[in-house]
This record gives sequence, structure tokens and C-alpha cells, in this order.
Amino acid sequence: MSIEVKDLSFRYGPIVALDGVSMRLGEGAVGLLGPNGAGKSTFLRILLGFLVPERGGGKVLDYDIRRDQARIRRSVGYMPESDCFVAGMDAVTFTAYFGELSGMPRQEAMKRAHEVLYYVGLGEARYRLLDTYSAGMKQRLKLAQALVHDPRILFLDEPTSNLDPTGRAEVLELIRDIATNRSIQVILSSHILDDIESICSSVVILNKGKLAAEGRMDELRAIRYSLYEIRIKGDGEAFRSELESRGCRVEETEDRLIKVYMPEGADRMDLFRAAVRTGVQLRAFVRSRTSLEDLFADVVGVD
Amino acid sequence: MAVVRERGYSHWDGRLTERRFPWGPITRTGIRLAFRKKGFKFAFAGAFLPAFVALGGLYVSERLEDFKSLVQSNRALLEIDPSYFKLFLTSGPVLFTLVLVLVFAGSGLVADDLKHNSLQLYFARPLGKNDYIAGKFSVVAFFVILLTALPWLLLVVFKLIFAGSFAFLLAYPWLPLSIIGYSAFLTAFFGAYVLLLSASSRNTRYVMVLIFGVYYFSAILALFLKSIFRTPYMSLFSIPANLGQAGAAIFGQKLPLAVPAGWSFLVLAGICLLAAVVLNRRVHGVEVIK
Repeated sequence: MSIEVKDLSFRYGPIVALDGVSMRLGEGAVGLLGPNGAGKSTFLRILLGFLVPERGGGKVLDYDIRRDQARIRRSVGYMPESDCFVAGMDAVTFTAYFGELSGMPRQEAMKRAHEVLYYVGLGEARYRLLDTYSAGMKQRLKLAQALVHDPRILFLDEPTSNLDPTGRAEVLELIRDIATNRSIQVILSSHILDDIESICSSVVILNKGKLAAEGRMDELRAIRYSLYEIRIKGDGEAFRSELESRGCRVEETEDRLIKVYMPEGADRMDLFRAAVRTGVQLRAFVRSRTSLEDLFADVVGVD
Repeated sequence: MAVVRERGYSHWDGRLTERRFPWGPITRTGIRLAFRKKGFKFAFAGAFLPAFVALGGLYVSERLEDFKSLVQSNRALLEIDPSYFKLFLTSGPVLFTLVLVLVFAGSGLVADDLKHNSLQLYFARPLGKNDYIAGKFSVVAFFVILLTALPWLLLVVFKLIFAGSFAFLLAYPWLPLSIIGYSAFLTAFFGAYVLLLSASSRNTRYVMVLIFGVYYFSAILALFLKSIFRTPYMSLFSIPANLGQAGAAIFGQKLPLAVPAGWSFLVLAGICLLAAVVLNRRVHGVEVIK
């Protein structure tokens, strides 16, 4: 296990940010999902040693998060959520500087800075002052400084925030490339479901500082409920009420497609029974995959 | 926006090392960035002017016969002894140029990092708070030592060269130590003073005004209080006066203020302590708002 925490708790004054979180994260890209204020950033900051947990502990790459912070920081890369740079520097100097601070020899850090800046798409702008960079460029720069020392784990905190759709797609493409081809484990913290869904193979959902769900994406989708997409002719309201009385959640899209979420263990024949009972005709019946959005809504408790 | 992955990513096959002084790159970068600031090179060059004036004085003192007409009325000024060095090192122009250099070089040391949220980048590296502060402190130390100890020790050497004998050094063997001691004292004080003010705001321009303003305002305040309360102890409010007092004590000269030198050391140490407290509170990997 690359990351393992047990009973991790932290509070900002009276506000509980993390409450007894325990988890084990293995290989591959892991999404850290949760609404704003769920404790995602706090969790990353505790792993990096910025914050000392009030209770509990854990290990990152077998290093203790309370005792071996320097070793952890040498082995991980961190891309913070907020804009951050050093005024008066160009991108090469900036990236090499943080490579050096990670423990790279000076010349190696400079050489490596050029490489990663080309990799993130800032090759042509690498000698420009950072003060003149756009939001998208700063986001790439943060990724470059996190990659410069070739970390084993990459912590990405809201990497696509403040980006336009094109910039977002490009940054996501980079992260996907790193996660799938480069043997670097990516821990992606985000509240944007699509980002997580498109990159991560596993997900951890935090809600109000507690662990709400954890596991492989496909398993989590499967175990909670089955999703059926149907089209009907007849009294939709009665049919809907009948299904809801049987424990199903029902949603109707704009094009009158009805999504029925059947709880774990429910019999799909109940759908047909409900149709018979309310006198509606089933015109289409397809079993569908549940999306991360559905899972998120279910565990976080929002529609 | 440029195309993503103009070149492919490759792993780095080197080995990360633990540095003896992990803050070294912070200092080197801080010094380099200072020289990129507008007007800094001018201020830096100007800061050596007092040392050149003192060098001229040393030369003339050894060639009094050649400069008879020039020095008739100022002969006393050209008697070179430790008070000559103390007079220059604690003089207004030397401290003014030093403060001016630190205004440029030191104002943004912490303030810029606070403004641009870069502290979290530093602390995501194997660096502790002490490493960060040591790195920034060393930037100030570099300039203070470069502008005080180095030229003034060289002046002692020049004095020996102009005199053509070691008589001066034999008469005052402790003088180089006094120069080093006073320079170390200035380094400790200005390091703490500049970092204290730099950590107190995110606005570099505001910090620049503070570094200059607090230094000279303290002198004005002391004069004002002294005229009201008519006690020499009010001079302790003045930073320049306290530095002068400390300098006189270190060079073993007559104290300029009618108060024990220990009080001045105490006041300056208090500022250093305040700096330590403020830095400890302001320098964090993440800002925790409770």
C-alpha cells in the first residue's frame, strides 16, 4: 500500500475537518472526491506534514506521516490548489529551484526543469517571467514543479480549477498520461466528478470530514444499485410512485427517459410488476452503468 | 497556449541527496533576485562609497606631508585608531546605505512568498521552517557582511600597506575582532529586523516603506520623547542610536548615550525576539484560519 491512514482526525478550531478517517490506497490513480469543505485538502496537507493530525496516524510509502515528513516530501510531488509562484523568476529558474530544494544537484535540476517544462507544454514560454503567465500556464507550471524531482506519488489538489474548457482538457490529458504511462501514482483531489471519472481507477469519497465511500470505481458503481433506463407509455406519475414505494429512486430526463436506480438485492422483475400494476406499457428497457455522479449523490446525500 | 507534450516525459535517473545546508538554494536565489531589482545595483554600488571615503582618509593619514594644505584644520580627524573605524562604521551614511540596500534586497524575502502563496511549495519540499528562515536570513547576512566586515577588514589591511609596517595592528590587535563582532551584531539585528517587517505584510512596497520608515521614525520619536521627558533613556527608542551605542561598546570607545550599553543591547535583542515570534506565527506551509 502506498498510503495507509488510520483514525485520522483534524479540526480547525471548532470545525471538524477530518473525523476518524481510515483508508488504504494502492497503486493507480486515486480520486479524492467530496463537496467543498469535505476535508480533501486537509487530508493531503496532513499527508505532506503541513498539518499535524489531532488523532490517528498513517504512512506514505512506508514513511510515518508524523516522523518522516522530510522523506515523504522528497518522494512526493504536490500541486497546490491556489496560484503560487515566486515573483521575479522565469519558469526554468522556478522549476529548477524547487528541484534543487527537493535534493537534486543544481545542474541536474536545471536540465530536468527544461524537460518537464516541455512536457507540460511550457517549452516556448520557459524564459518568460512568471508574473506574466496566464491562469492556465500557472496551472501547468505548478504541475511542472511537482514533477521536476520525478516523484513516486503526485498529489494534485483541484488541478483544473480556474481553467477554461480547453485548458482543463489539456491539463487532464497530461494527468491521464502521467497516471497511465509513467509509473507515478496520482492522487487527484477534486470536486469535479468528470475529472475523477476520466482519470481515476479508484475513488475515495469524503463527506463532512468522514469517509463516505472507498474502492475501485467499477466495484463502487456495481455494489450500490442497478440502473435501468426505460421508456413508457401511460400514467408516468403512478408508475413512479409505485417504484418509489418499492425502494427505487426514479429520475426523468428531458427527453422522457426514465432512470430507475434499484437498490442492492432488489428484483428487476419488480419493474415489470409495477408496470402491470399501474397499467403502463414498457417501450424500452436497458440496463445501464451507474455514473460517479450517481454514486456521489448517493453517498453524500444530495440529489 | 502551447501544445501539450512537445516532448515526452522521461523519468529522472539521478539520486536525490540530503544537503548539509538545505537552505543554500534559498539564499543563492534570494541574492540573485535582489540584483534583478530595479535600482538595486545603484544602491549596492553606492553602499561602498563610505568605505572608499575611509580609504582616502587612510591614505591621506599616511601622506600628511603631501596633503599639508588640505588637512591643516582637520588633522585630528586623520589620526587613525579604533575610533576612526568606529566613527565610520556607526556613522549615519554607512547605516543609511546599508538600510537602503536592505530595503531592496530584503523587503520581498517573506512578503513575496506570502503574497504569491509560495510557502506551501517550499514546505512541500524536505525543508523545515528553520531551513526556510535560515535561507532568507542568510540573504540579509550576505549583504550586511559584504558591506561591513569585508570592506572594513580590507581597510585595516590597506592601513598596514600604506604604513608599510605592522605597528598599527600591534597597537590595536583586537581591532579586526571588533570589526567582525560589530558586523556579526549588525547581521543578527538587521536579519531579524528585515525579516520581521517582511513577514508582517504581503505588500512588498509597504514593507520597503516600513524598513526605511521604522528605522528613521524611531530616531525622530526618540528625539521627540527626549525633548519632552528630558532623560537620556528616551534615546533607547531610536534604532540608529542603539546601534551606535552598541558599536561604541564593541569598539571599546566612549559611549555616545548617557545610558549603560546593556540597555541598547537589550532593546535590540527585544526586536530580534519579536522577529522570532512573528516569523514563527507567519511562516507556515498552509494558512490555518481558525
